[in-house]
Amino acid sequence: MATDTRVILICSGKGGVGKTTLTANLGISLARQGLTTAVLDADFGLRNLDLLLGLENRIVYTAQEVLEEECRLDQALVKHKQESNLSLLPAGNPRMLDWLKPDDMKRIVDMLKEQFNYVLIDCPAGVEDGFKNAMAASQEAIVVTNPEVSAVRDADRVIGLLNTNAIKPVQLVLNRVRPKMMANQEMLSIDDVTDILALPLLGLVLEDEQVIVSTNRGEPLTLNSVNSPAAKCYLNIAKRLQGEDIPLIDPVEESSGFGAKFRKLMQTKIF
Amino acid sequence: MNSIPQKIIVNIEDSKYLSWKLCLINKLKSLKSTNIEIDCKNLDLSCTDILEIISIAKENNCEIIGFCSTSLKTIVSSQSLGCKSQFIIENNSNETLKINEKSLTFSKTYFHQGTVRSGEYIESSGDLLILGDVNPGAKVSAEGNIIIWGRLLGIAHAGNKGNSQATISALQLRPVQLRIAKKVARGPKEKPQIGLAEQARIDSEEIIISPLETS
Repeated sequence: MATDTRVILICSGKGGVGKTTLTANLGISLARQGLTTAVLDADFGLRNLDLLLGLENRIVYTAQEVLEEECRLDQALVKHKQESNLSLLPAGNPRMLDWLKPDDMKRIVDMLKEQFNYVLIDCPAGVEDGFKNAMAASQEAIVVTNPEVSAVRDADRVIGLLNTNAIKPVQLVLNRVRPKMMANQEMLSIDDVTDILALPLLGLVLEDEQVIVSTNRGEPLTLNSVNSPAAKCYLNIAKRLQGEDIPLIDPVEESSGFGAKFRKLMQTKIF
Repeated sequence: MNSIPQKIIVNIEDSKYLSWKLCLINKLKSLKSTNIEIDCKNLDLSCTDILEIISIAKENNCEIIGFCSTSLKTIVSSQSLGCKSQFIIENNSNETLKINEKSLTFSKTYFHQGTVRSGEYIESSGDLLILGDVNPGAKVSAEGNIIIWGRLLGIAHAGNKGNSQATISALQLRPVQLRIAKKVARGPKEKPQIGLAEQARIDSEEIIISPLETS
């Protein structure tokens, strides 16, 4: 039984910035480090986490049935095929949208705390009931945002709500960073974002086409293609979450680095 | 001094057409008394000003026995020169009354520490002091002045009950929108100088932004 379970809410406010992708990849990364991890899909109205993990066809029960005592918790938990340390629990059924209350969420998380080192809660977009439910059982939070004005604005709103609910610490993950655009100042810089949000930066995730491929396959990037830039970023975030001191990548350097690497590659091919 | 029975009080004030100095010279010309008290009203006079008044009096063959004023600064100046001084807490002057009333209603200052984030709204029935940034999407509003020790990137409304004397000050003034009393202005497009605190106030029916003066 794990006594110091960390319950982490992964939220963003705006939709489509990469909450679910981060949850799935962080879950896999933590599980790979030997930590028992549960990912709880609180976004059950539009649930995707099972798709990303490739576990859609294995879901039989949800947390709803567990709370109504129609099944045991270990029946509802879906263990990942390759990473046995990782389990998925959908919070509810897409057809029963309004059954979940903040207290239900607390009960589920308390059950999960007994078995796992980490509980990651994938929060729905928006700041309405779904968000409030997901927030009710969390101790700390990771706010995901993109270097866009709208995503930053929504993240700011969410951070305000997290602060009023005394959720600490709140850390920031800047997703879909395009080093070239940042170097050319076509995108909000890291400083622009951290200036406004005033949060410690847990990590950057580089824009990577492989993310789309992995989503469609139902295999999170961190599972197989560890060499993809985004997968490295996710692994680093997981390590930092564990307290390891890993320096952040510098996107400007990275952009010049790509070119340099490419040129090097060309030279070796030609000569 | 006490053998002279009649004390003459000379009022001096700044008017639209006449500075207090000219006003004093004009009044002293017709007088030849050695028992004059100068009522400086609400003028803020320095020691040099007081010395000048005394020398003007001498030029006109008059002698000043003392000063009285509603301004603390003037009293301190005259007292430090060894003149007899009387501080008047005036309650028959409408102007000072108004000021007193104002400072009474604005004495309630609401203090907020930390970043004001998007969607948050802070209101004060007096002045508002914020120690932190006001982010875009946030709104702060006060019946009196707003002072932000940080960046103003959201919306600020000073004098929300119609006080057009209210001001908005910030270390970095880059708001989405500024409102003072019933006037609304969009924020400036160009980035302000860094390290220069600025203040917005109403001047001739328009909201203007100028470097913050410490007075």
